Amino acid sequence: MTQPLIQMQNVDKFFGSFQALKNINLEVHKGERIVVCGPSGSGKSTMIRCINRLEKHNSGKILIGGRELTDSEKDIDAVRREVGMVFQSFNLFPHMTVLRNLMLAPQLVRKNNKSKAKEIAMKYLERVKIPDQANKYPSQLSGGQQQRVAIARALCMSPEILLFDEPTSALDPEMINEVLEVMEDLANEGMTMICVTHEMGFARSVADRVIFMDLGEIVEEASPQEFFENPKNERTKLFLSQILSH
Amino acid sequence: MEAITGWWDDYFFASIVVLKIFMASLLLMVIFGLIGAAAKLSNSIIAKKIANAYTIIFRGTPEILVVLLIYFGSAIALTSLFQLFDPSIKYVDVPPFWAGTFAIALIVGSYATETFRGAFLGVEPGSIEAARALGLSNLQTFVYIRIPEMWRIALPSFGNHMLSLVKDTALISIIGLNELLFVAEQATATTGKPFTMFIVVGLIYLGISTVITLFVMGLEAYGRSHLRAAK
Ligand SMILES: Nc1ncnc2c1ncn2[C@@H]1O[C@H](COP(=O)(O)OP(=O)(O)O)[C@@H](O)[C@H]1O
Ligand SMILES: [Mg+2]
Repeated sequence: MTQPLIQMQNVDKFFGSFQALKNINLEVHKGERIVVCGPSGSGKSTMIRCINRLEKHNSGKILIGGRELTDSEKDIDAVRREVGMVFQSFNLFPHMTVLRNLMLAPQLVRKNNKSKAKEIAMKYLERVKIPDQANKYPSQLSGGQQQRVAIARALCMSPEILLFDEPTSALDPEMINEVLEVMEDLANEGMTMICVTHEMGFARSVADRVIFMDLGEIVEEASPQEFFENPKNERTKLFLSQILSH
Repeated sequence: MEAITGWWDDYFFASIVVLKIFMASLLLMVIFGLIGAAAKLSNSIIAKKIANAYTIIFRGTPEILVVLLIYFGSAIALTSLFQLFDPSIKYVDVPPFWAGTFAIALIVGSYATETFRGAFLGVEPGSIEAARALGLSNLQTFVYIRIPEMWRIALPSFGNHMLSLVKDTALISIIGLNELLFVAEQATATTGKPFTMFIVVGLIYLGISTVITLFVMGLEAYGRSHLRAAK
């Protein structure tokens, strides 16, 4: 049995006296595709943000590729190089063109030269089907295009793992599919990914496991089929009845 | 207007003095502003209190008074300092150029403190997070993301601070610096044509301000290029 790529062991996270994560245990193996869902405020973002140390857990252990996340800046940087993240609000750098957004980290972090970084950037822009937007600024693109740029930006670092935090929640309905298609392609190519999303169609078609969180806890963890057809927990059932009813 | 012939060279050299004060005080103003903003944003309560006192004092007192107090105050301070080494020294003269430059830089720096602080806080937290998530170091994030976003936010106010500096150079005539107002007063005394003499000063200041305004407008247009309307 190979070592899991992500291990979270008894992880707690507090904001002041408020406990946002309660005893989280999670293992993700290479190539697995995990969908995380749950009501707003249940700790989904906090959980995945602990994985690349945008939030610092208070107790328990998190290991990424066997490397434990501690205060060591060196370890944090090493983990961040291997873990890409896509945010709900895209978070592109507004003062840079699309191309520069994509080239920045390969140049600064991976120490590629300019022409190599550009080559990488164009490769992934083609992958998300918008090479023609390379020289525009983020504000000139639609939401769906911006999110595809953000995915391409993460891919330029060739990460081992991609984290998605509600990547389609800020999008107009007609733009959701273009982003989900890119994500499905990635899933089919074997990318290890954790997606916080309420796109249940996506969960059904690509997830290996669905995780349901509520009040800072992982309440249920099951295959998509099991999760949707036969949820065990009352809170899961309530949640599913609410989101599937509209 | 012929009253003015013979004074052109005085006006010219006085303009050079004004420009020199502007350049020196601009540099100092940025330094004071950055230190003030860093102190206000720091976790140190003492640093915050000092920075607050600084902005309250310098924004809350008449500028001309600050110029006078710094000029005479620094003379007293330097005199007592020098007397420690050589008791025979009666009085140390502080150059009006530097006392004045320092004073107006401190005044405008107190406004710049708020501008820089606001610009720091105005940077989208999402951009900073994205940079950190991509593995950029703190320093790289600061240089490549925070500064470029900050200067765009700060620029309009910063342009106003530059104009304040230019105008405040006129205050320094009160401590006897040979700048434009000083020349105009001398010329008035000789020719008895105050309006002519002072309108020339006005036009010179207006010329300098216009150049600065155009420069800032150019920078703003460049900085806004990423906000061009969608398609
Ligand atoms: N930086 C923060 N400071 C204080 N409380 C926070 C912070 N971030 C999140 N929280 C709280 O933690 C809880 C979980 O938040 P989050 O992980 O964003 O939930 P979700 O992504 O599931 O909607 C919420 O109650 C939220 O208010
Ligand atoms: Mg969230």
